[in-house]
Amino acid sequence: MNVEASDIVVGLLMAVFAVIGLLLGAGAMDDEMYIFGISLFLFAVLFIFGQIRRHYDRADARRTAKHD
Amino acid sequence: MTDLPPAPASAAMAVALPAPDYNEEVVRKFVIASVFWGVVAFLVGVYIATELAWPQFNLGLSFLNFGRLRPVHTSAAIFAFGGSALIGSSLHIVQRTCRTRLFGGDALANFIFWGYQFFIVMAALSYVMGFSQSKEYAEPEWHIDLWLTIVWVCYALVFVGTLMKRKEPHIYVANWFLLAFILTVAMLHIGNNLAMPISVYAAKSYSLFSGVQDAMVQWWYGHNAVGFFLTAGFLGMMYYFIPKAANRPVYSYRLSIVHFWSLIFLYIWAGPHHLHWTSLPDWTQTLGMAFSVMLWMPSWGGMINGLMTLSGAWDKLRTDPALRFSVTAVGFYGMSTFEGPLMSVRDVNALSHYTDWTIGHVHSGALGWVAFISFGALYYLVPVLWKQPDIYSRRLIAWHYWIATLGIVLYITSMWVAGIMQGLMWRAYDQFGFLQYTFTETVAAVHPYYVIRMLGGVLFLLGALIMVYNMVRTIRGDVAKPALEGPTGYAPAVGD
Repeated sequence: MNVEASDIVVGLLMAVFAVIGLLLGAGAMDDEMYIFGISLFLFAVLFIFGQIRRHYDRADARRTAKHD
Repeated sequence: MTDLPPAPASAAMAVALPAPDYNEEVVRKFVIASVFWGVVAFLVGVYIATELAWPQFNLGLSFLNFGRLRPVHTSAAIFAFGGSALIGSSLHIVQRTCRTRLFGGDALANFIFWGYQFFIVMAALSYVMGFSQSKEYAEPEWHIDLWLTIVWVCYALVFVGTLMKRKEPHIYVANWFLLAFILTVAMLHIGNNLAMPISVYAAKSYSLFSGVQDAMVQWWYGHNAVGFFLTAGFLGMMYYFIPKAANRPVYSYRLSIVHFWSLIFLYIWAGPHHLHWTSLPDWTQTLGMAFSVMLWMPSWGGMINGLMTLSGAWDKLRTDPALRFSVTAVGFYGMSTFEGPLMSVRDVNALSHYTDWTIGHVHSGALGWVAFISFGALYYLVPVLWKQPDIYSRRLIAWHYWIATLGIVLYITSMWVAGIMQGLMWRAYDQFGFLQYTFTETVAAVHPYYVIRMLGGVLFLLGALIMVYNMVRTIRGDVAKPALEGPTGYAPAVGD
């Protein structure tokens, strides 16, 4: 798999942030908290997608280097 | 006069040890963010300066009024532009001077970058929507403060972790300043933002402190934001990039240590000078004033060390306009750290407080010191990070330098004149003991100076746009035609 420990820790942290964002957005009593909650959710989800992309980019790079 | 230990990464060591695999990606991102937010900050600054000269530019829109855009401008300048430059350059400096890759892996470094950008965007959005806890330079409400705390703790973890796994026995002085910046800003941010939200689902909170205690804590934070964010952090930048650009060791390493500890010890007590002639007890005001005056010496210790590092390399100012930015910044640092203690004297403050003199003082520091030292660092970093032999055009850097300098001169001189005039008009009495001028008359009197200030801001913005063009061309790998570089262009020395 070759996954760095920091990838796992940060990824789990992001999952927690995403859930917190959803909770804040769902219960928001004003526009500011609603926007913040939804933005936090989107931020965390996009960050995790970015981590997945970088993981496969690294794997591709390793494979290419091996074949060269 | 060079004391031990030597400047970082001496030529001999560079030959002896292979360069580690540094994390340059995160530094590159911070450099781009810093340049982007710089332009945003200057643009919003010009717009609100225009509003002050011609209030019709409010356009009757709530999100464009001065009260909401002003914190957008200050936060964009200090935290977005300055903060991105500081965090990015500190991650560059700590890796290079410790000869090791960042602690915590790429994911954590990436989180610091995106988490910090998320903080900036959320804070700006909340300001224009009318949410603020009404604390200057600490406007974001509790939920955004908590987010910044998380990001900042991760940043501290990465920085300290990198220091701890360093391959160099010595911790270079720039890292001392950067560490003071990181740890003290964390303490200030948490202390000043202690608040009770009305609900976990509401963006409204009440400060833990009330009355004059709240004001005291706010200015303990506010002045130390100047001291540790805008001074200690950027001194760390100065201690790395000026010796690198001048290719000279620090003038006096011993002086750097002495002025570091004295600066750290004295700054933390100076906050009460923001509350002269208020209900704050007199002894506290006097304490703040006395420590502010004492601060003059360690501040000038830094200035002397920065300027004297150029000993034997002054000729580089002719050929390297990026270094000119850094050295001029140190000059402005010396000037504004002389003016600050002067303004903190209670009797001077009686004239200067609440006037535009303060605005002029702040901008001589923000534009002359913070922005210029950042420009010098950014011009140094861009070719290094994007593996280019040199910046696209040194002549454009020279244009940026002179246009921005003229902008600062217009800005601060107009604010000095406007501020002193305001102060004198507010305190003028006629022979019957009545105030000689109405407040409206003082507002009308400063109008021409507000227009001059706005023009100064336009010039500063224009210079930044030139920088953006120059950096984009550099990153693309373009090479300017030698004829365009002309006599002010850079003639590379042998071995460059």
